[in-house]
Amino acid sequence: MGGFKRWLAGALGALAMAVPLALPAQGAGVDLERIRGPKVRDLYLVVVRDPDAAILALERGKLDILGDVTRPSDIRRLSKDPRFSLSMAENFHMAQVGFNLRKFPWNVQELRRAAAMAIPRDRLVRELFSGYSAPLTTFLPPVSPYCDKSAAAPGLDAEGARALLKKAGWTWNGSGILVPPGSKTPLPPATILSPTAGVAPTTAELADRIAAALREIGIPVKAEPLDFAAMVQRIDERKFDLYLMAWQLGRDPDSLYSFYHSSMDVRGGYNQTGLKDAVMDGLLEALRYSPDEPAARKAAKAVQKALADRLPIIPIYTRYSVAAVSREWKGAVVTKASAADNSWSLLSMEPASGRERPLYWALGDEPRTLNPFTASTATDWQVLGLVYDTLLAVNPNDLSDLPWLARSWKVETMAKAGAPKTRLTFSLRGDVFWQDGKPFTAKDVKATLLFLKKHAIPRYFDSVRDIESVTVPDDRTVVVTMKNVSYWHLHSIGGLPLFPAALLDRIRDWRSWQPSRTPLPGKTGLTELYGTGPFVFRESKAGDFVRFTRNERFWLIPR
Amino acid sequence: MKMRWSAWVLAVFLFCGFLLPLFLKGDPREPVAAPFSKPVWADRTQAPAMSLTVPTGEAGKTFSWSWEAPRGLSVTGEVLFAKTPSKAALIWETPAGAKWVLSDLSGQNRWTLDLDARDMAFRISLGLSPFDESLRGLFDKHGMIRVRIESDVPVERSSLLVKIPGERWGLFGTDQRGRDVFLLFLYGIRVSLFVGILAVLVSSLIGLDAGLVAGYVGGAADTFLMRTVDVLLSVPLLPVLMVLAALWGKGLWQLVLILGLFSWMGTARTVRSMALSFREAPYVEGLRALGAPTFYILARHGIPTVLPLLLANIALGVPGVILSEAALAYLGLSDPRVISWGRMLHEAQSFGAFTTGAWWLLLPPGLGIALLCLAFMDLGRALEEWADPRLKGGRA
Amino acid sequence: MRPVKRYWTRRLGGAACVVAIVLVANFFLFRLMPGDPVATVLDPRFSPEAKAQLEALYGLDQPLGVQFLLYLRRMATFDFGLSFSTQRPVLEEILERLPNTLALLVPAYLLSVLLGTVLGVIAARRRGHLAEKAVLAAGAVSFSFPSFFVQMVLLLLFAYVFPVFPLRGSLSIPPPEGTWRILADRIWHLALPVFSLVLLGFGGWALTVRNLVVKVMGEDFMILARAKGIGERRLLWGHALRAALPPLLTLFLLSLPGVVSGAVLTETVFSLHGVGRFLLDSVLGQDYPAAGGAFYLLTLITVGSNLLADFLVQLADPRIKTGGEESR
Repeated sequence: MGGFKRWLAGALGALAMAVPLALPAQGAGVDLERIRGPKVRDLYLVVVRDPDAAILALERGKLDILGDVTRPSDIRRLSKDPRFSLSMAENFHMAQVGFNLRKFPWNVQELRRAAAMAIPRDRLVRELFSGYSAPLTTFLPPVSPYCDKSAAAPGLDAEGARALLKKAGWTWNGSGILVPPGSKTPLPPATILSPTAGVAPTTAELADRIAAALREIGIPVKAEPLDFAAMVQRIDERKFDLYLMAWQLGRDPDSLYSFYHSSMDVRGGYNQTGLKDAVMDGLLEALRYSPDEPAARKAAKAVQKALADRLPIIPIYTRYSVAAVSREWKGAVVTKASAADNSWSLLSMEPASGRERPLYWALGDEPRTLNPFTASTATDWQVLGLVYDTLLAVNPNDLSDLPWLARSWKVETMAKAGAPKTRLTFSLRGDVFWQDGKPFTAKDVKATLLFLKKHAIPRYFDSVRDIESVTVPDDRTVVVTMKNVSYWHLHSIGGLPLFPAALLDRIRDWRSWQPSRTPLPGKTGLTELYGTGPFVFRESKAGDFVRFTRNERFWLIPR
Repeated sequence: MKMRWSAWVLAVFLFCGFLLPLFLKGDPREPVAAPFSKPVWADRTQAPAMSLTVPTGEAGKTFSWSWEAPRGLSVTGEVLFAKTPSKAALIWETPAGAKWVLSDLSGQNRWTLDLDARDMAFRISLGLSPFDESLRGLFDKHGMIRVRIESDVPVERSSLLVKIPGERWGLFGTDQRGRDVFLLFLYGIRVSLFVGILAVLVSSLIGLDAGLVAGYVGGAADTFLMRTVDVLLSVPLLPVLMVLAALWGKGLWQLVLILGLFSWMGTARTVRSMALSFREAPYVEGLRALGAPTFYILARHGIPTVLPLLLANIALGVPGVILSEAALAYLGLSDPRVISWGRMLHEAQSFGAFTTGAWWLLLPPGLGIALLCLAFMDLGRALEEWADPRLKGGRA
Repeated sequence: MRPVKRYWTRRLGGAACVVAIVLVANFFLFRLMPGDPVATVLDPRFSPEAKAQLEALYGLDQPLGVQFLLYLRRMATFDFGLSFSTQRPVLEEILERLPNTLALLVPAYLLSVLLGTVLGVIAARRRGHLAEKAVLAAGAVSFSFPSFFVQMVLLLLFAYVFPVFPLRGSLSIPPPEGTWRILADRIWHLALPVFSLVLLGFGGWALTVRNLVVKVMGEDFMILARAKGIGERRLLWGHALRAALPPLLTLFLLSLPGVVSGAVLTETVFSLHGVGRFLLDSVLGQDYPAAGGAFYLLTLITVGSNLLADFLVQLADPRIKTGGEESR
């Protein structure tokens, strides 16, 4: 912990702030081996959408865990209160400015570089977020195990930006607007699209500030806040100059392929900037189809280097996630990559006094739907994730893979006949039961994969589309053969929620299926919303709470 | 008619809203002090804003501190040493005698500093937790504080500026981003007045025409117009406005149009009932008998007849429109870049004014709206009495 | 009773007109909303093909004309389709929230009418008295203070500074055991929102009652009645109030749409799980089946209750002129 000396020798010189800083370690990693739970018997996920109400409910003991504390005023208030412990973690959030590379002048590389040098990230973070965000210069969030901190966009240097443009032959007209080399006409006015306050209250203002910074070096840009959907539509139609957008990325750097591969510059594709670069494509393909982890790591590094050269986007900032936990509870799991509001905490938390009582966990929004096939919001999955389990879990310490329902696994490249293919072999645990008492077997995994593939369910479409075959040599082994080679298949398949085969047979229409409202025949208190997860869904009271009880058959509970 | 209080209030609002900002320096969007600073008159234990330059000499700058530890502190500017120092630092000496290095300045003869207590790195370097915002270490008790540049070579030039944004600011304090609430309040007057008056003008024009036509021409036109009025009156207004505001965009002009289109019904009814009796008036019948065209009669005699009451109607209609605008802004359906009182209330609620107990964010816009509405109602009543002196006894 | 029949044909015709206009407007307004729901699915893990699947799921790939006809048929059967964001039938979502909205509005409205009438009559009798001043002040508050501001201040006072009332929702967590306890809990949760609505509502009502009664008191038949030696109390509560009833009822009808607007704001301030809040969320979230459905249903409810109340007025007092607004 801490150990900061009063006389800090030279660690923080001037301008050191441009580099995103690692947070202080909040513990030397969590020993996952010792987690045996869940220990709580009753769990309520309480819907509190209003942040004020959430803070006050916490203070009155009506809530025990509150995640996503974003407002500086709340952080300040809770940090002063000895009844709570706060934790802070980095996450995969990433706000960036994108250029429309299909258009002049945004296709000019030195202009983009100069723009990146004109944006005062530190000031923006200070003034808009009171410091509870980190200025970002990398192309993956620093928390990502694949992030290459040396491949970074340039930091603030407005003078340097002007010098760079001057050297490339740009001039400025009488009113300080840039004139391209060899031309007489100054740059035409442009706009930077941003969502309005409805989505992210500070984003519209951030766009205003960025536009002002760009005008400082002579790029005539104005902010144009739009309804989120309208903005996305404009970007999809490629009718834009610049845009400001925040992403919540996944653990794998695979998303870079969607953002920057030329084949993704189609309707509905995510290559919004329109980067078309053969070298880049090659690097991205190497990343997407890398056969194993070391190859993936190497490819990711190369991609980030290439991005830092080309700068199709300018990274701006990444948010920290902050969570508060009542000190009446002990055992919350906090790591560098995960604040206390995670599922590991639910497995290990217990009342500090030893006296049994229900745990109240804040849910930031009403769950939209409890149908796992159509559920899409983080809130939905905060609920569903307690019921459904996956083959692999993510280690909260270093974001590596962790055995879960699969005791072990193998990733192989089969190159016998025809094109090479990735083959995944999972060996399942033998002590896992569905919440209705039936044993969990390889057949359930197979049925889940085939069901998702057969119905082309949008949420899982990309994960299962490349499955060629699923075989079940025995009750404990699943072999999934993919159509092509990619290390990421392991995470796509290993991260899917698993459903009982017996239930999947009964689902007529997955769109309108409402498992939480359909009682399970012959089992009192159970609904069709059941899995192998640590908690059993009991009831959902719209607008108020979702109630769970401990799954007494959960495999991590010592027997 | 003697000068009513409402006329004074409106005059002050007009002055404050449209003329005062011309004389005041500063952009209302720029942060001026720490977020949620109290009004300067509210809490004397909190520090006011201050800024100090750090001189080149060894003695540095001393100042006295007699308030609670603030949250904000920033150091900006340049230091130029005569030659590269092997050991140099910006030192902060607290009243209790502790010594802090704000920044190490060794090994380089020119330094550009930009330190801010909001930066996580700076906070951590001062040994604070990332969550603790008060700079208790630097301001450990009341007394003299010294800031100086310590180095083994002479300092040639320094433009270092230490700024403490303070916890108290201005007449109404600051909001969640440190913006001056008083300035925001002043700018908010404009929006309320602009939208209120223009939208009522639009609606009065529509209402006047519709009422005259319905009352004077009668027949099918009357039926049609009055049905339309019924229709519009039986549709819930706010949901319609919400949908339209979300659809047509949230600009001020769109808002004026939307509000105008949905608030002319009352005026139309009033004008219609007056036009009905106007039509039966002997001199109007005479005009008609003489063959005067309808348009002439209405323009020359109809409008002047209804005008006094129309003016009263305009004044009485403004509060409704101002309240609708405020409600839309409060629901988050207004342009976030336009400062308005409704927007201020929206932001107060969404950015933690409640949990901070920041009453100074709630009261000015809320009471401002109310006062403006009351003033217009009083004015309207005065105009009504002027138009129809019989009302004087009827109302209090 | 020919005129009555004609009156009702006209009333019903007008009501049908409103519904038809709202239907058409609804379709086009919400179709014109910027963006489509698929566009808001921003997840780089979704490939273009996966997004196309999603579009077909929402039925957005059909031509507009076909969509309109389907829409009309669905509206007639209250089938508002699946909400984009929740994937549940919109009607179900609304019906789930409706009891909360009614539990808020009905008591609030009845109480403010009751309180307003009593105070209004008292104020009319004792002119210049404290009661009159109170009524005038309350009336001014209800016309000039933003309702949500008053509610925010009440919330700040009674849920934050003096935590007497709960902060949010309509039920404690965990819910108490037993029917009576649950009922008490619900009332406790609704107390502050209802109180705020009464506080905001009774003033305007009282002011109208006072003005009407004052006017009625000056009329000939009242002077006659007083001359006959009828007691002041009976004169006021019996004769005057009854004579003022018809315009009051008309006003009651006219204020119904405003009540619905109040629900949106109240539910937002107190984070209640009602229809108004649902409408706001749908509008902000571009969920057009949901916003369209909620809006359509709100209109139907106001138009319907308007008609119903009109009918009740007729039943209660057949002498009422069947001219609607001419009587004012």
